[in-house]
Amino acid sequence: MDPFLTSVLSNIGLFSFLALSAWLLLIGGEISFGQQAYFAIGAYASGIASAVWGWPFAVALALGTALGAGIGALVAWPAARLSGVHYAIATLAFAELTRASLNVFRYQRDIDGYLTGPDGANGFRDIRWVYEAGIAPGTYLAIIATLLLLVIVLIWLAARLNVMAQLRMVGEDPILAGMQGIRVLRWKIGAAAAAGGVAGLGGALFAHMATYVEPAQFSVMTGVHAVAYGLIGGLGTAIGPLLGVLIDVGLLESLRSLAAYRMIVFGGLVAIILILRPRGILDETLVTKVRSWARR
Amino acid sequence: MLDLVQNTLDGIAAGSAYALLAIGFTLIFGVMRRLNIAFGPSIMVGIFLGAWVHVQWSAGLIEAALATFIGALLASIYIERLSFAAIRGDAALASMASSFALWMQLEQGVSLAFPGRTTAFPTLPPLPDIQIAGLFLGGDDLLVLLSAGLVLLVLHRLIYHSHFGLEMRALADSAEAAAVSRININRVAFLTFCLAALVGAVAGLLIAATDGQITPKFGLWATMKGLIAMMIGGLGSLRGALLGGLVLGIVEAQAQWYLGAAAREIVVYGLLFLCLIVLPGGIAGVRDTGAERKL
Amino acid sequence: MLEIRDIKTSYGKIAALKGVSLDIHDGGLTCLLGPNGAGKTTLIWTIAGILKAQGGSMKIEGENILGLKPHQIVSKGIVTVPENRLVFPDMSVRDNLIAGAFSRRKEKGGVEGDLEDVLTRFPRLRERSEQLAGTLSGGEQQMLAVGRALMAKPKILLMDEPSTGLAPIIVEEIFEIIGGLRDEGRTIFLVEQNAHMALKYANRFYLLEQGKVTFSGEPGAVDHDEVIQRAYLGARKAS
Repeated sequence: MDPFLTSVLSNIGLFSFLALSAWLLLIGGEISFGQQAYFAIGAYASGIASAVWGWPFAVALALGTALGAGIGALVAWPAARLSGVHYAIATLAFAELTRASLNVFRYQRDIDGYLTGPDGANGFRDIRWVYEAGIAPGTYLAIIATLLLLVIVLIWLAARLNVMAQLRMVGEDPILAGMQGIRVLRWKIGAAAAAGGVAGLGGALFAHMATYVEPAQFSVMTGVHAVAYGLIGGLGTAIGPLLGVLIDVGLLESLRSLAAYRMIVFGGLVAIILILRPRGILDETLVTKVRSWARR
Repeated sequence: MLDLVQNTLDGIAAGSAYALLAIGFTLIFGVMRRLNIAFGPSIMVGIFLGAWVHVQWSAGLIEAALATFIGALLASIYIERLSFAAIRGDAALASMASSFALWMQLEQGVSLAFPGRTTAFPTLPPLPDIQIAGLFLGGDDLLVLLSAGLVLLVLHRLIYHSHFGLEMRALADSAEAAAVSRININRVAFLTFCLAALVGAVAGLLIAATDGQITPKFGLWATMKGLIAMMIGGLGSLRGALLGGLVLGIVEAQAQWYLGAAAREIVVYGLLFLCLIVLPGGIAGVRDTGAERKL
Repeated sequence: MLEIRDIKTSYGKIAALKGVSLDIHDGGLTCLLGPNGAGKTTLIWTIAGILKAQGGSMKIEGENILGLKPHQIVSKGIVTVPENRLVFPDMSVRDNLIAGAFSRRKEKGGVEGDLEDVLTRFPRLRERSEQLAGTLSGGEQQMLAVGRALMAKPKILLMDEPSTGLAPIIVEEIFEIIGGLRDEGRTIFLVEQNAHMALKYANRFYLLEQGKVTFSGEPGAVDHDEVIQRAYLGARKAS
């Protein structure tokens, strides 16, 4: 496959994890500006596991996912009691706290004559497991796609089992949801854990593809982009955030003629879409219509 | 001990500018119940227009200031029309995402127009530094403090002793009640946006003129400082925004002096996170912020 | 069935309920009347477990349930149809109805059958079952909320001001539905400001004024005009 296409598709896949992570919280009625924190945690934890401790790649990915989910739940445990704006800013504060902490986080060991591990603001080099195992970019793209598909299938399964419906109820009206016998706080913490896990997995995959990560990559801008993907793609289905990523990374980043004006074009596009469809292109109205049409 | 007092003094000077940013945020949130996260970038547009007249026609501070006000106003009106007026009130999430989209536009637009890393901005008129009992207050800091104080006085007068202020407070209290009281909500919201832009522009002007140079990163910086100060002080409270700005300035100055620049960031964001969890009403102890209405 | 004794609830320093006692008897429509600000909604939210009471007791079939969380209250069979926030607007009518049955998801089956029953009871909901609930009219949303509550198989149905914001003709329709439920032998606790309509259907009523029950009785035994006046306007004199 063409290397440029492979790299664009890989980027779409990786950002999709982040977008799905923010989307899960949007469904639960919370806006998070801080999912990049779990992306960073997944990247660093899995990088340390494979590059410094010499763990296998799969176990490193699992560690990144688990840590993302665990810390996500831990942050949500107090934060989920807050109202909308407070929650949004609390997630942002936690993400910036994470980034600032990574700026001073040093954990280096001598591996084969090289100092390996996070070196504060200088970043974390030589996460070389994938490279050393001889995995080609095309193969790695397949790994990303498979895991992304796995996450989407899990969300689809959750929808079949009415799990997503309950999360939507919590998101639309937590008090009314409570009156239906739903344990609102548990659902919010659960959603945050799932979102943290998805972002953690994405981060782990990102670190092993890039082989180098640094704290500055996990800035507020990254987090707000993740939220915007779900909002323009639509809140009606898990395909929504992927559509958002596709429009931004796929269409605009790849069209090199537009590169210099990418933000201006993308920003204008988002603003217009949100005026016409405040809950995104694939919003609940459209999804419900398509479903009832399909049922007929 | 002397260090502690000196840091506090420095912190208050920096914090007074943060307070203006936080007040701008609070004004908009108060009447719209929605966050305009492109507030910082709209000020950034202002100071770049100021810098442009400075570089182009070697204009002085007064002309640059005027241009700053005009630029911030125009950018704010652009945001208000597209991200707030055009989007229904119950879709607050969409407004926030939309304001972010315009932020990207403004930032890239400015970056394209001013390709250099930094751009020169006219500096403040020299004022003598003050030294009393070992404490030092720079002339620039003094000017920042005085200007911020003057803006606060004017703002207080406008909000609590004018008809427009009354309409604004009514709208902030309850949009429904304001509407049935024959207040033109759209007009008040629009004017509040403009007012916030002017207050923010003063802050931007003071900071830019103190530094003598500006970068497009100012937008992100101003949004973050304003948001943090507003939340520490208590969402929705003007008094809280003022207090939050000062506290943020003082904490930053102390942390910078005793712990260093890297730790300063950790301290500030840690404080913000803790404050939100332990004290969601902020220093001002805001009870009902209206924020629990679907964001 | 539900025994409420000396319930006190306050918002910060402001006492909204100053010791409310009342009984909801098995089978039949118990009505709570009162003017705006009397504390009617506060009482519903306290029973539903969303607001915390500072004192008093609340027992269902002899079991104390004061201080339970909302989901625990629902699992005791007390189901609420709140005022104003009736439906999940971005979910379909069908999904809204199924939402009512989440509290009993542990028992297997039955949900599909109950859904069929509700759709038969409210044919208009069947017509619109694939529509988003937010697109329904006010009366239809009220129907949907009642249908959703029935999906939970409630022992007691709490209804908060079902007539709010509806046209008089729709109000009549809603009250006919409530009357029908009463005639099936269901236990209903209805909070209403529209005393005129409520007294037509109630088996027993209480009057709540300024956080206290000031009067109670059976509709046949009292002067309706006096009750109606007080329910709308509050007491003229201390009586």
